[in-house]
Amino acid sequence: MGNRQRPVKREELLETMESRFGVEPRVAEDGTVWVSIDSEHLSALLVFTKRGGFNHCSAISVTDWPADEAFELTYHLWSYEEKVLLTVKSRIDRQEATVNSAIPLWGPSAGIHERELHELFGVEFLGNPDLVPLFLESWDGPPPFRKDFDWRAYVREAFYEEGNPHEQSYWD
Amino acid sequence: MHIIYFLLEEARLATKATELKILIKAIWVLNWFNSCGFAELVPMVGSRWDMERFGMIITGTPRHADVLFIAGYQTFKSLERAKRIYEQMAEPKVVLALGSCTMSGGMYWDSYNTVKRLSDHLPITMYIPGCPPRPEAVFEACGKIFQHVKEM
Repeated sequence: MGNRQRPVKREELLETMESRFGVEPRVAEDGTVWVSIDSEHLSALLVFTKRGGFNHCSAISVTDWPADEAFELTYHLWSYEEKVLLTVKSRIDRQEATVNSAIPLWGPSAGIHERELHELFGVEFLGNPDLVPLFLESWDGPPPFRKDFDWRAYVREAFYEEGNPHEQSYWD
Repeated sequence: MHIIYFLLEEARLATKATELKILIKAIWVLNWFNSCGFAELVPMVGSRWDMERFGMIITGTPRHADVLFIAGYQTFKSLERAKRIYEQMAEPKVVLALGSCTMSGGMYWDSYNTVKRLSDHLPITMYIPGCPPRPEAVFEACGKIFQHVKEM
């Protein structure tokens, strides 16, 4: 894929996004480009950005929106040639949280972010070979960073004994 | 008369020697620091507080260690490693747990992935309270280890 790369300029990037993907990129005051895209066209957009010289995937993150039944994926991409910071956002269904892995594009540096998000939010990244939990080795609860995970109730059930006078304050 | 004094003196020295023989071994310590307890105990190893003047030496391997220092909270991942280290140590062995996190969870009392009472999982010989404990408290505990060594 490397020899097919051609760095795209900021104007070209904005224009192509509008014409080919039908999205409306927003340029922030500091020059950062923000764009939201639906999950069907996310992979195509990411392939386009990678071929357009966005060689550095700084971070992938997930925001939980339980009221909208959605997870919002955020990709922070950087182009060394054009010095453009691009933030791609996409919402996926919360119940069936699956999305294509970005490993074919950015390699293991994207893989480690996906591994973390799988551990903490339960998002399934199709094609990522290593989604083993990093910290929660023997975890039996739900993914802990989801907003509907009542961690206080979980801790009370898991660690404290009701009726023990020394631990009564945890139950009050 | 003279010979009696001599024998008494001999006996006193012999007792001293026996005592010394018990204490002749330095305490070899393995540090298992994986939280903020590390920050407080590193000066203790260094020249400012100098734990070596009390005959305590840091060792790199659990197989040579007499004392296991557990500083701060354990996650359930690190607990498995701590148990393994404990099993590798030769008898007799002492486990010192430092900080309020090991006693009650401390400020992580409602964290879903930290151990609340370490003595539920490992045989703790002595808890040193504090958040984090001052070196003086650790040295007092070390004095008690010497006592413990005599009993052992």
